[in-house]
Amino acid sequence: MDAWRYEPTADFDQAPIQRLKNFPRQPDLLVYGVRTVAHAVIRGLMRVWHRLEISGREHLPADESFILVANHGSHLDAPALLGALPLKKIHRAFPAAASDYFFTNISRLVFSAVVINAMPFDRKENPRQSLDVCRQLLEAPGHILILFPEGTRTLDGELGRFKPGIGFLVAGSNIPVVPCYLDGAHRAWPKGKWIPRPRKLRLTIGAPLRFADKQAVKEEAVAIADSLRDAVLALRQSP
Amino acid sequence: MNSAALENPVFRGYLFVLAGILAVAGALIALLRFVFRKNVDHAWKAYRGWLIMIPITFAALYFGRETTILFFTLLALAAFTEFARATGLYRDWGMTGVALVGIAAVGVVSFMNEPDSTTKGWYGMLMALPVYVVAAILMIPILRDRAKGQLQPIALALLGFIYMGWMFGHMAFLANARNAYGYLLFLLFAVPLCDVSAFTFGKIFGRHKFRPNVSPNKTWEGAIGALAVSMAFPWLVRFSFPELGTRELLLAGIIVGIGGQLGDLSISVIKRDIGIKDMGALIEGHGGVLDRVDSLIYVAPLFFHMVRYFQGLQ
Repeated sequence: MDAWRYEPTADFDQAPIQRLKNFPRQPDLLVYGVRTVAHAVIRGLMRVWHRLEISGREHLPADESFILVANHGSHLDAPALLGALPLKKIHRAFPAAASDYFFTNISRLVFSAVVINAMPFDRKENPRQSLDVCRQLLEAPGHILILFPEGTRTLDGELGRFKPGIGFLVAGSNIPVVPCYLDGAHRAWPKGKWIPRPRKLRLTIGAPLRFADKQAVKEEAVAIADSLRDAVLALRQSP
Repeated sequence: MNSAALENPVFRGYLFVLAGILAVAGALIALLRFVFRKNVDHAWKAYRGWLIMIPITFAALYFGRETTILFFTLLALAAFTEFARATGLYRDWGMTGVALVGIAAVGVVSFMNEPDSTTKGWYGMLMALPVYVVAAILMIPILRDRAKGQLQPIALALLGFIYMGWMFGHMAFLANARNAYGYLLFLLFAVPLCDVSAFTFGKIFGRHKFRPNVSPNKTWEGAIGALAVSMAFPWLVRFSFPELGTRELLLAGIIVGIGGQLGDLSISVIKRDIGIKDMGALIEGHGGVLDRVDSLIYVAPLFFHMVRYFQGLQ
């Protein structure tokens, strides 16, 4: 008979808050359970309170890893985009969230890590390192990365410029990038307001784009970012 | 138990004693730190842990039977989770899930009444629960149609449920006792006291290693000192349980004095075999929940059944 092998969970000697700060996080029964229940509730609320309407689900790749890029109108964006995915996939979908905002305060950290499954993105000090983490994430099959390439929420409802990081991330790789446009989120929950107002939300998912023939140099990265921005904008005009 | 906890002389007695001990210990640490300029980081961390744990425990007991049951059930769930994470059982969500549901069931049957009666706590079902949990755990590999490597998770889940869930769950059930405050507060005080005595006697008189392969710092002198203190303690706090006679007080002392140390060593065996130092990191300065309650798990059911046999709980 083989000797038993004990393999403690990789983060077993860390305090719970530290475990949530790590990325990638270890799968955790309790966290998955809470997340599933929370999303069932959030989906219900979005359907009722915001009359969320989702079109273009057929564009979502079925098995491979992919990136969702969207405009960033409010905190409703990540839950709404996650709402377009089957419930069992939300544990493998990671919205990139600014680590300087979402991972500095305990209650935000717990909500981002447990409910949203956010990936801490260091947009200030070391974005390159965060892009490397994104790259590793996408190497595993079936992972979904949700990015808001504007890098911050819009103040006036207009679509800002896309940062070139997304271009560096996808240039030369065959990862599908799915453009999405979420309409109404900025009106429903502008920056600085406490709770969302009951405004209609409409999520349009576009056809995936690939940038395998591009190179990870500044000009091409900027061009990719611009073309993704155009793709997102195009979804806005065709309701 | 009810919220008239402060009217209860036993509750009040322990509250004053513990508040006093915390104050004195805090003053001592401050004295060492600021007057004698000693490094007290370690003691301060442990003290801060107690400063959080003791009020939470008293609050749970203060608000009555329901919160007490909830408190000990949550502790049992946390202790089991730490055990599962440390042994790797946690990767098997089926086994872990069944054991966690079983532990929650310990809390539920402690909360319910005996069927067709107003007696609080469904004792018969508490005793029968391991039957159902063992049956459910053995079913998992069969449902999966998998045999390879299944004995390890089965055994770990069984030990985890029986020991950290069911045996520890006796603490929750004790909330149903007529003299719940007396029994619970006695155990919560006596068991850590046994740990501290073993440590202190070992530090002062320790010459002969006790079980060097399980826990290298334990000594015979510490073990005997702890047993002596634990034997004397029930007499010291006799006001907690005036209904207990000489025989019960003697047994309570033996159970705490020997069981407490065996409980400590039992968790040490598990930790040593895995090759880890602490079971978790929830309580700064103390390790995990399981490191804190290790002795209590062993003692709680032994004390419970001793008292129930001689006195009845209700």
